[in-house]
Amino acid sequence: MNGPLISLDGLTKRYGNVTAVDDVSLDVAAGSICGLLGPNGAGKTTTFKCLLGFAKPSAGRIAIEGAPLTPATFETLAYVPERASLYDNLTIADHLTLYRRSYKHYDDVRAHELLALFSLDPKQKAKRLSKGMRTAAALTLAFSIRPRVLILDEPSSGLDPVHQRHVLDLMIDAAANGASVLFSSHQVGQVERAADSVAIMKKGKLIVSSVIDDLKSGEKVIEAVFAGPIPDLGDLASDPRVVRLEQNGSMLRAVTRDDSDGIAARIFALHPKSIRTIDLNLEEIFMNAVSEVTL
Amino acid sequence: MPAIYTVDPRSGVPLYLQLIEQIKRAIALGMLAPGEQLPTVKALALELTLNPNTVARVYRELERDGVIDTSPGRGSFVRTDGAGVEARRAVADVARAAFEVAVREAKSLGLSREETHELMARTIARWYETELE
Repeated sequence: MNGPLISLDGLTKRYGNVTAVDDVSLDVAAGSICGLLGPNGAGKTTTFKCLLGFAKPSAGRIAIEGAPLTPATFETLAYVPERASLYDNLTIADHLTLYRRSYKHYDDVRAHELLALFSLDPKQKAKRLSKGMRTAAALTLAFSIRPRVLILDEPSSGLDPVHQRHVLDLMIDAAANGASVLFSSHQVGQVERAADSVAIMKKGKLIVSSVIDDLKSGEKVIEAVFAGPIPDLGDLASDPRVVRLEQNGSMLRAVTRDDSDGIAARIFALHPKSIRTIDLNLEEIFMNAVSEVTL
Repeated sequence: MPAIYTVDPRSGVPLYLQLIEQIKRAIALGMLAPGEQLPTVKALALELTLNPNTVARVYRELERDGVIDTSPGRGSFVRTDGAGVEARRAVADVARAAFEVAVREAKSLGLSREETHELMARTIARWYETELE
């Protein structure tokens, strides 16, 4: 099938007067990894809850592998919540036994590879695990069912840098085999590395949804210094390619959304003393997007 | 074999462009020979911890540029005809861009044409001298 494996269409979730998720539409294709970024309270976890059927949407549609959620959906869907849910009195091995009985595609060899990767002892009871080890155990379970759809809420919380890298490699491996991955993170660098697309939420709304490399190609800062005062800029501020103009003495800074070369050419025509284009990384693009400044 | 590509995900330069440049550089320097097979998309994605779609985009663009040939089922290979020429051209483009930035910077810092010339001549003397030894 060629359609997206994860699909949200106009998803809205209201709690009383509060709109936690506001008209969010997002697709994650097979083989794709989408990183979901947003400040705390932006609606990321609520989006996940709706996606998994834990919360009933107020409006909008959800489809996993092209169909509404059914119990069968969960045979190929893995979810790791921010606080890993394990049975405290069961060992990791007990959890694997449960998974073996519950999931058709459970792969015991894979599960034990992952335990070794994360240096986990299967005889340990869940209640004895540190926060990072709990996350690692939950990830081991998630990836052991050979999922086609992965939904991971802060999948590296509490993990050391080496294990964090393993998590990224697991996502990459799954995507290379055709799975769809949607994960949230506060670490922009992880999204920048492992994801091909990014979604940024703010106050329940989806404010950015793009292929990361395309975003980086378009979003630049053009900085020009003039010999004297900045000349008349004409209608530059209303050019749809310009996000924002900042002026400071003889310095002009233009933040562009796309075609930064076109905007640089417009500014160059005003004869600045110097002009340069500054590349923005995802963190800077993210900060620009969520900061309060609007035109 | 040590990884011959270094990409920086935290840079503002799109990752696929960084990797394209690195592969062309490797071909121009002879680290990748004509006819040599490139790793699969999955293998390279895992080696560099990069998104597989990003790596796939790199291979598509290299194929379009006439640098590699990809045949389904067999894999991707450095072209035996013209890949070197194209890679050399691409590397010259990178050098030209770096040069342009340097000269523009000198100008915007207020150096005169003569001063910039002088600086360039001295830099060239230093680096090309060393290479002769």
